[in-house]
Amino acid sequence: MEERTEIPPGTLYMLILKTVARIGPMHGYGIAQYIQQISEDVLRVEEGSLYPALQRMLIKGWLVADWKQSENNRRARFYRLTPAGRKQLVAELAEFDRVMGAIGKVIQPA
Amino acid sequence: MILEVLRRLAYYFRRRQFEEDLDEEMRHHAELAGRPQFGNITRWKEESRTMWGWTFVEQLMQDLRYAVRAMKNNRAFTALAALSLALGIGANTAIFSFMDAILLRSLPVNDPESLVMVNWHIRGTPYTRGRAEPNTVVYGMSGSIYEEGEASSTAAILPYPAFEVLRKSSSSVFSSVFAFRKTGRLNVSIKGQADVAGGEYVSGDYFRGLGIPPAAGRLLIGDDDRPGATAVAVVSFAFAQARFGGIANAAGASILINNVPFSVAGVTPPEFFGTLPGEAPDVYLPMHANLLLEDYPFGGPAAMYLDQNFYWLEMMGRLQPGSSRVQAQAALAGPFHQWVESTAKTEHQRADLPELRLVEGAGGLDALRRQFSRPLYVLMALVGFILAIACANVANLLLARATARRREIAVRLSMGSARSRVIRQLLTESVLLASLGGILGVFVAKWSIPFLTLLLEIDSLNVSLDWRVMSVAAGLTLATGALFGLAPALQSTRLDVMPALKEAREAGHKRRWRAPLIALQVALSFLILVAAGLFVRTLSNLQSVELGFNRENLLLFRLNARQAGHGDADIASFYTDLQKQFSAVPGVRGVSLSHEAFIAAGSSQVINVPGAPPDLSTHLLYIGPAFFSTMQIPMLLGREIEERDGPNSPEVAVVSEKFAKKNFGDENPIGRRLVMAGRTPRDMEIVGVAKEARYGGLRREVPPVVYMPYNQGAQRIVAGVTYYLRTAGDPLAYANTVRQIVHRADARVPVTSIKTQTAQIDDTISQEIAFAKLCTAFAILSLAIACIGLYGTLSYNVARRTNEIGIRMALGAQRGGVIGMILRDVLSMVLIGLAIGLPGALATSKFLGSFLYGMKPNDPLALTAAVAALLAAALAAGYAPARRASRIDPMAALRHE
Repeated sequence: MEERTEIPPGTLYMLILKTVARIGPMHGYGIAQYIQQISEDVLRVEEGSLYPALQRMLIKGWLVADWKQSENNRRARFYRLTPAGRKQLVAELAEFDRVMGAIGKVIQPA
Repeated sequence: MILEVLRRLAYYFRRRQFEEDLDEEMRHHAELAGRPQFGNITRWKEESRTMWGWTFVEQLMQDLRYAVRAMKNNRAFTALAALSLALGIGANTAIFSFMDAILLRSLPVNDPESLVMVNWHIRGTPYTRGRAEPNTVVYGMSGSIYEEGEASSTAAILPYPAFEVLRKSSSSVFSSVFAFRKTGRLNVSIKGQADVAGGEYVSGDYFRGLGIPPAAGRLLIGDDDRPGATAVAVVSFAFAQARFGGIANAAGASILINNVPFSVAGVTPPEFFGTLPGEAPDVYLPMHANLLLEDYPFGGPAAMYLDQNFYWLEMMGRLQPGSSRVQAQAALAGPFHQWVESTAKTEHQRADLPELRLVEGAGGLDALRRQFSRPLYVLMALVGFILAIACANVANLLLARATARRREIAVRLSMGSARSRVIRQLLTESVLLASLGGILGVFVAKWSIPFLTLLLEIDSLNVSLDWRVMSVAAGLTLATGALFGLAPALQSTRLDVMPALKEAREAGHKRRWRAPLIALQVALSFLILVAAGLFVRTLSNLQSVELGFNRENLLLFRLNARQAGHGDADIASFYTDLQKQFSAVPGVRGVSLSHEAFIAAGSSQVINVPGAPPDLSTHLLYIGPAFFSTMQIPMLLGREIEERDGPNSPEVAVVSEKFAKKNFGDENPIGRRLVMAGRTPRDMEIVGVAKEARYGGLRREVPPVVYMPYNQGAQRIVAGVTYYLRTAGDPLAYANTVRQIVHRADARVPVTSIKTQTAQIDDTISQEIAFAKLCTAFAILSLAIACIGLYGTLSYNVARRTNEIGIRMALGAQRGGVIGMILRDVLSMVLIGLAIGLPGALATSKFLGSFLYGMKPNDPLALTAAVAALLAAALAAGYAPARRASRIDPMAALRHE
């Protein structure tokens, strides 16, 4: 069994938003794959957390979904960013930077 | 935010589509990942679904479906429990709606809180009749005076001069003062159509003081209320609708009131009913219009407006902003005292002068409150008991169900159900049951309000379904449902799963709750049964009161020719002529008339044997010829009043047995003389003595009565009369003939109050009839509900004890013995209930003492009947389960578990 790294709590929405913002409309599997590849296999998104998160983001109106033809010629649900999602991404990034900066200050060698 | 809600809603309505989408998406994912399985797809779907926030609703729907299914399986018991709740809630709501309308609601006027009623209070009881020297300054009155406690009285009627004193001295505390008085029946003729209407005389400031805007035209103002003003009237909204076909037609119309032309100035708003709840006047007239309409109002205009010792007007004031009732009373007490002292003529009168009192006026006059407050509290208490009995039933039902379902619950818990989820499901069931009862209760209340209005004979009271009470009663049942649904739910879900799964069906510890509930129901039913027994006995006592005349086949109706324009000169001949015409109708055996209906009569004047002191208790009746033969009151001595006793023959009188005995002892009164003092003097010869008959009602003691021909003496006494037709067969069949004859004689004279003598007697005891009927209904209801509870408990007990009974029978117990054993259970529960209920029943019957007639409060018959009814009902409820127990096949029972 390979080792998995948990995605830090609260950052999953940000990762999904950023992914969709960068590569455009994408289905769930693509989003998960992209995060895994870019993070060089460090971050793995479990289906069990991905789909509830996607549903949640649909409710919030950050994403909208359309059914399209996928690369393997199957119907797939493609998620794309809304203006509200873009705004949310900016806010989450800023918050993440703020928190990371603060953590950095705490753990910096004196 | 709103968009989010919309998205959630869109999800809910298309959730099947969403589910399929999610499913397809996940399968697609698995395919791309090159895995045949997508892990626990169901769980992830569940989690994704939870995100939409519909879980609660979906589970609720699930619970509801399950609850409905459970109810269907328990149909009879559910129906009975819901029905008993519905009756409990409905009855409470209906009765409270009446209480609210009569006792609690404020007048529908502007700022009712700042209105005050002017009352006075006196230590003794004023005697107004027949004293050379009245004991108080109240020499005469027309209106009600109420005794307060042992030796004091209070009233809301005042002389006109007092009104002027208050008007002058109150400007610092009142922004307006106004007076009013009922008119009695008026003959109102609109475009030739004459009919009877009720009215109110009001002073000029009445409408301004109450703050009422007109619905059409204008209302009365100060200038309308003075002698000699143009005759104007204001009509009520309902009257304008009914008689003019709309408020627009009413304003400006010309009408005849008691044959005097008036013009309608305007219409009051629809919700306005004057100042007395329960009486809605049709016509409002300026106070001084009574000078036009009444030929002899209390001795003429002088007496009405100038007499300082004649009490007849009711008054209200509106407090100035910032002044209180207490301040106003303090400010007015002085001027009133000064005035009232000046009206006293003797030391005795000066020693006990009326004291001014201001009471809250927001609720209007209190006549209806005085009449109905105690009866309504009694009814309220009874329906409260019924609700309690119904709640106990629901509790019983739920306890039984919870016990029966211990196994089911244990199974669900062991399968991994969350405890909260199980509790929620049980709660859903009980709340659903309570809601069902509540909804049915609304219908019960809606239907019973018109029925109650009819029964209590309060015609013009605006009773609307009271939603506050509805919700209180519904809340109460919900709470019952929740409490008795939750307690067992908590208990059963706390159980150790293993023993409960293994356990057969024993759950004895729940049983200890049920017997006390049954005993409580029995106790409360007993109270209601005793009350019903007392009321029914009272009614039957009243109905078997010896009338002294024959009530069967007697038609009564009323005419008032004076109000239609007949004067002293021809009024008696008009009535005599009608009497002849009625006599000629085929099937009419006898006709007579009197100035008041005999059973409702109550007039008195000082009539005495010359030289003897005046007897204050003597009452009188002005009658037509053949009165005694028509009523079938036997003459003991002499003769009755006949046609020959007319205006031109010597004045005569017939006296009652009691009068004769009181004034003449054993002597023969025939030929002796009687004199009537006052404004309509007579000097009469006694020509007959009539047997005792119920003059003035069933409950009152019969007074000594003097009967005099209506067409002798001063003719101004002749106004309205009641006719009596003794008929062959159904009296009401003659009503149309009567109307035709009167219409032909004079179309301006309406025929009113047509009813049989039996119906009229029932009218005088309408409250007793209503109580007997209502309480009987309540008693049957409570008995039925209690029996349902008893039946349910016993059936459950028998089912639970199948095993034990089987063993007993296998060991030789006989069927009769088994039945006896179960019925002993019933008896013990009933006896405990009776023991609890007895002190309450005794207290109840004591409290009801003032409602009773012809019996002591602790009437043994009523108590015995209640006990017998309870025992019979309980044994009947217990018999079916007992029989079922005796039919248990020992072998089957032993194999049973």
